[in-house]
Parts: sequence; C-alpha cells; structure tokens
Amino acid sequence: MTAADNDHRPAPAPDIPAGAVPAYQASADTSAQAASAGGRAPGRRRTDPLDIGIVVVVLAVIVTGALTTRFFSLANARAILASTAWVGITAIGATVVMIAGSAVSLAVSQTATVVAMIFLATQQFGLAAAIVLALLSGVAMTALQGAVIGFWAANPIAWTIAAGFAIGGVATWISGGTTVYPQVAAFSGLNDTPLGLPLAVYVLLAGTAAAEWFLRRTTAGRHMYLIGENPAAARAAGLPVGRVTVIAWAIFGACIALTGVFLAAFNTSANAGLGGTLSLDAIAAVLVGGTAIGGGKGSALRTLGGALLISAISDLLLLRGFSTGIQLLVKGILVLFVVIAVHVRAARGRG
Amino acid sequence: MIRRLTARPEALVPVVALPVVLIVFLCTPLVSGRALTTFDVFNTFQGLAQLGLLTLGLGLTMIAGEFDLSVAGTYALGGMLAVQTGQSSAVLGVVLAAGAGAAIGAVQGGLIARLRIPSLPVTLATYIALLGLTSAMSGGLSVTYDNSGATLWIDHPIADIFSVPSLVTLAAFAVAAVIFGGTRLGREVRAIGGDRRASRVAGVRVARRLVGLFTVSGTLAALGGALFSYSYASANPNPGLQPLILAAVGCLVGGVSLVGGRGRPAGLLAGALSVALLGQVDAITAIPDYYTELLYAALLGVIVAIDAPGLRRGLDRLRARALTTRVPARHD
Repeated sequence: MTAADNDHRPAPAPDIPAGAVPAYQASADTSAQAASAGGRAPGRRRTDPLDIGIVVVVLAVIVTGALTTRFFSLANARAILASTAWVGITAIGATVVMIAGSAVSLAVSQTATVVAMIFLATQQFGLAAAIVLALLSGVAMTALQGAVIGFWAANPIAWTIAAGFAIGGVATWISGGTTVYPQVAAFSGLNDTPLGLPLAVYVLLAGTAAAEWFLRRTTAGRHMYLIGENPAAARAAGLPVGRVTVIAWAIFGACIALTGVFLAAFNTSANAGLGGTLSLDAIAAVLVGGTAIGGGKGSALRTLGGALLISAISDLLLLRGFSTGIQLLVKGILVLFVVIAVHVRAARGRG
Repeated sequence: MIRRLTARPEALVPVVALPVVLIVFLCTPLVSGRALTTFDVFNTFQGLAQLGLLTLGLGLTMIAGEFDLSVAGTYALGGMLAVQTGQSSAVLGVVLAAGAGAAIGAVQGGLIARLRIPSLPVTLATYIALLGLTSAMSGGLSVTYDNSGATLWIDHPIADIFSVPSLVTLAAFAVAAVIFGGTRLGREVRAIGGDRRASRVAGVRVARRLVGLFTVSGTLAALGGALFSYSYASANPNPGLQPLILAAVGCLVGGVSLVGGRGRPAGLLAGALSVALLGQVDAITAIPDYYTELLYAALLGVIVAIDAPGLRRGLDRLRARALTTRVPARHD
C-alpha cells in the first residue's frame, strides 16, 4: 500500500501515522508520545531509564575527570565550552526542526560553507552588513528546503541530500572551486574572548534560551510539537503545517548561518571542506539530548546538555591520551545508548 | 501496462533514467572527440562494483521502509579490516570483513526490529562508532595493501569488460533478484515497508525479516568496502558520506521509495548502473565536478518531487477534478 492510498481512508490505528512518515523515522510509539507530549504530569515521574543512564554517564565523567589531571580546571572548562559552541549553535536549530517532525538535514555542512564564503566575500561592506547578508542567505537556503518538506511532505533525507548537492555545486561554480579570502578583515571582533570565553559561547547560550522560550511560549513553537507528534492529525486539525515547518527551517537556517559566520571568522578563509562533519555532529548532539527523531518531543536546553556532554567526554578522552578514533567510537556508542534509552522509555510509557 | 506505469510514476524512473544516461554515455565522443572503447565499458563496471553492493544493501532496507545509514561506516570498516587482516591471504580478509559486516548488521537489525526503534538514529550512531573504530584501527591513517598479487588478480579484465568485483556485484544482484522474484520474500519485504502492522497481522515474521535484511546490508557493505580497498591497494579510514549518498541516489533512481514498500533488485541495478555511467561520463568528458553535483541535485529533486505525498495528493486532486468534470458519474 502506498502513502497516497493511505490518505484516502481514516488511519486504521493511532500508531500508524498516515501518509508521509516512513518507518525509520516514525517510532512505533506515537501513541505513547501523545501521552507524554510537551511535558508529562509531574506526579507521573517514575524511574526513567534515560535519566538514570544520563546520571550514570555524567557521574562516570565526573569520577574519571577527578582522576585526570587538569580536567577540573577553569582553562579546561573554557576549552569544553569553546569546543561546544560551533556545533551547539547548529544543533539548537536542528532540535527545532526535529521537534517539528522534519527529522534531519544532510545539507548542513554545505550550507555553513556557503554562508562562510558569502560572509568573507562581503567583508568590505562592514561587519553588520556581512552578518546580515550571511544570515539572510542561510535562512533563505534552508527555509526553501523546509517549504518543500512542509508543503509537499517531501522526504527530508532525500531532499536535503539533493539540496546539499545543489548548494555545494553552485558554490563551486561561483567560487571557481578556490578558497575564498576576505578583502578586509572586518570580522576580527568575532574572535574576541570576553571574560575568557569566545563570543560564540555567548551566542550559543543566548540562542538556547531564545529557542527554549520560542518552543515553550509561542503559538508557533507549540504548533511544532503538535505537528511533529502527528502531522496527519495536525493537518486535519487545521494547523498551518506548511507555514510552521518553514518557520522551523528558517530558524535552523539562522543557526547554521551563525555557525558559518564563526567558522569563517575563526579560519579567516573558506574552502569547500570548511563545513566538515557539521551535519552529523549536530544530529549527534540533538540525539544525545534525548530529542526523539520522530518529532514531537525534546527541548533546546537538553540539546545544549547533549552537546556539552559530548564535548566533555571528548575532552576527557583527549586528556587521557586517546586518539580521535576512540573519541568518535565513544561518541557513537553514547548516541546509540541514548537512542535506545529514549525508546525504551517511550515503550514503557505505552505499556 | 502503460496505465499501470503512469499511475505509479516511481516505477518509470529506472525505466527512463537508465536509457537516458546510456544515450548520454554513447554521446560522449561528441564532446571528448574520442571513440568509446571496451575499456570505457570496463571502467563503468568498475564504477558499478564500487557502488553496487552498497546500493543493493541500502536499497533492500529501504524497500522494507528502513534506512541503513551505517552502511557507510561498515564500508569503511570492511575495507580497513580486509586490508589489515588480508595481507597474506586476500580471501581471509574478505571473509573476516564480510563476517564483521554481518555481525554489525545483525545487532542493529535486532535492536531495530525487537525494540522497534527507528532505524535512522540507530544506524547514525553505529556509523559514527564504526568510523571511530576504523580510525582507531589504523591510527587515523590510510593503510596500504601490499599483496600486489591479489591487487593485480582482482582487477584483471575478464571477457574485456568485467573484473572480479564487478562480476561479484552483478552476481549479488542476480541472487537478490531471483530470491525476490521467486520466493515469498520479495512480497513480504515490500509488505513490511508498505504497512508494517498489516503485514504483521497477515503473518509475516517482521522482526526476523528485518534482522535478515540488516545482516545482508551489513555484509554487502563490508564486502563492497573490502573489494574496493583491494582494488585500490589501500584503505581509507574515513571515505566520508559520499559513497552513501551516491548509493542513495542509485536506490532512488532505481525506483525505491523512501516511504518504503516499493522497489525491486532489478530497479536497484538500473539505478546503480545509471550512477556508474554518469561517473564514467564525467571521467571521459572531464567536465567540472560541479556539473555532476548539480546534475545529481536535479535528478534527486525530480525523484523527491515524484515521491512527495503532498505533491501527489495535489495532483490526485487535480486529476480527480478533471475526471469528475468530464465523466460526472465517476469518482476516483
């Protein structure tokens, strides 16, 4: 049976989201999510496998950290925060999109790269103009992807792979495949470290607070949880699914653009590889924060926690002399562990 | 027949894409000014061997409505494992790589099927972990494969246009096509992808089939990685997402839907062959990379648009309206 067939009849059961949501993205526990959407009743909090697991991991980090010289030092805390900032800012945007039910984007690295190039190429117009242009281009590129996903229910993975090819291709075409250098360095102020912390850390904290407020306190934010929960029901209830999805992606675009700006300012030049593994790093941070890939659950604050946890563990492994390979391995296992815990919790809520 | 195809535009994609790409391939002498040789065909099949097994594994999970992102990691691990363990005996390296791939796939399939966890986050986590493992195995560096006898043997032309990896790839597709067409398995896998609850109610052993599919996709990815690194006489700890993305393009061009429930191995072969032909067209005409990127973007864009339920709903509505105005009594 195809998705189109599905749409003409009432959904046979609440745990089959009619239409666009494929199985790898729709968890089998949609009905459980309905019970716990937004925030569950405070009285119902029993032992939660996810919370226990996170506490165990954090305790393990603290104990190992205490046994590691220099882990608990102000300089190292700064290093952890600084290394969280770039991925963290993008991850905040990725959280909003995942909550709104659009799963993930695989075009993040390319978008950040192009934004960085635009930012550096427009330095001669002044810092403010360059930032505005960078933000506008990031929002435009990403919101356009969101429009196709929101209005036509296009598959986010395939569509963002296509968008990644298009963005990367156009960027290479225009830049001629060379590294972009700025004419003047108006961006040097962005590398300042007030109170010993990079500016990006403050942007990350402010962005987290703003996203958290937006998701909890605004109509569009609440709509995102409902749409992520069950897009078919949201559409049937008359929610503006397309428009809200575009808003979520526009926020994502602004976050990617901010990361691109900081990447550009830090590297002082931009080539095609600048974005690196940003796409996957951001998804990993969101997942470790406990946001469900199927949408409808999660928070920006938890993503910040996830990003910090990943950075702290990588930092700890680095201090203890493990290679980047081992750091990646541990990160992957951590993501897997949290994903399993999130779904065991959802399954228990259903039973 | 024609009505059936127009009602299901995604089935048309491989039927149209492969001939179009083939025509473009046959037209390349107009640009390069050099006639096509059997060596170009050989290279096309080499390209197919690089992508084909990955495409088949990814495609089979996609037909069942899952998405095995970890194949990119298994591919890297398979290549590294084969090179490191196969220095004296190439066969041992391939067997170990395929075994590791099967084990990784089985564990993931078990998690996804038994705990009913969505496959995307699970396979993403596995992908990251496998990249780390591969990098840790090699200290983050490329490892060369010194068994030059094996490297020469694996790439020697067979019947002018084939090599061992491309024949293995074609054989894998043939086996998959026979099993899918000749047994209940094909229909069961499509049923799992189309409507999992209904297939479970109808008596399909969903969990067992999913574990099997992920085991197959892990094995194929590791095998593909092993053959590729033997052929290049080195293993790269991080081949990046490019192989996965090209394999996904191959699947989508091959008529597999990301929603699940659609597609067959023959279509996957057509998709993988289209991508391989396009790669060869690039190589012959030496056009800039960004043309290829834009071409892939356009190709995927068309497929995504065809696949998008919202767009389809709109078109259905238009078609229904057109029908009701012409034949008032009939409803779609």
